[in-house]
Amino acid sequence: MGFDTNEPEQRRKLRAAIDAGDINIGNLWLYYFSIGGSVGEYEVEAYLQGMISIPELERDLLAMAANDLLNNHGGPRAPYSDELPEDGSPTSEDP
Amino acid sequence: MTKKQLPLDELSTAIGRILGLLLTEEKVDHAVQSLSQAIRESVPGTIGAGVSILDSQGRRTSRGFTDTVVEQADFLQYQLGEGPCLTAWASEETVLVHDLSADFRWPEWTAAVSDLPITSVISTPLMAGGQSIGAIKVYSPESSAYDAATANLLELFATPAATLLSHIQSVETPKRISEGLQSALHSRDLVNRACGILMERHQIPHEVALQRLLKHTRDHRSSLQAVSAEIVAGIPADQN
Repeated sequence: MGFDTNEPEQRRKLRAAIDAGDINIGNLWLYYFSIGGSVGEYEVEAYLQGMISIPELERDLLAMAANDLLNNHGGPRAPYSDELPEDGSPTSEDP
Repeated sequence: MTKKQLPLDELSTAIGRILGLLLTEEKVDHAVQSLSQAIRESVPGTIGAGVSILDSQGRRTSRGFTDTVVEQADFLQYQLGEGPCLTAWASEETVLVHDLSADFRWPEWTAAVSDLPITSVISTPLMAGGQSIGAIKVYSPESSAYDAATANLLELFATPAATLLSHIQSVETPKRISEGLQSALHSRDLVNRACGILMERHQIPHEVALQRLLKHTRDHRSSLQAVSAEIVAGIPADQN
């Protein structure tokens, strides 16, 4: 099972966003579930630890969940997959 | 000695599946029961295994056991308020007993179980989120049946099991289920209904519908719930 090229970066930035916003995984998952996410809490935890790969749509729903919960707190936000470079080369920090 | 070992993945999956159902006390007991069985199968020389979930006062809220020997030994433990599992739970450390007749930590319990075929015991606390939520234990009729390797094995079981079991407990907490989960279910239902409308309208699969909702939400700096509510209410029929 491989990762999409930009998946590691998207995951890293999601992680950074929820850490900065002090969002716990349980709350992130519940919100993600509430907007239609279909990956279980256990798998989301594993995804955040880089252990498994999840589909792009689910990654984007997680990003939206994090951003909604962050509610413009001023820290880093979670990027959507189309905001990352296609080739997966690491970019500098979010604008 | 039985060498058949149940992979932890399979165990986690089994409990995870149970987690997905509506969780009643009966179902938690069933999960705990399956876990006991898996532990018994995995630890060589064991005549019985058990799992106890305790509340903060050390009262049992759920239990599972594989054999009547375990049922009796555990019953006496909780009745007398002493024994290896309670020690493991309270001290948050694995308790290893090579020979009960030479161990004097629980005099009343040891005396009470002297008629039962129990000589070696090992018990490991179930730790979740820094809290001890119970203990798992195995009993053997032989002396020195268990060693540090058995302790490691039991601890391997305890870690994922405790995480899963603590989820079961928190889902059962009435407050969490009535507030957080109920509103999450309501919101999810709304989003899925909106997806269904788009699927029908554009003859697209569910994922594509959800993707479009997501895109529309981002483009309009709205929320997925608000966009879904509009679609369900039939307002922007042209925009999707």
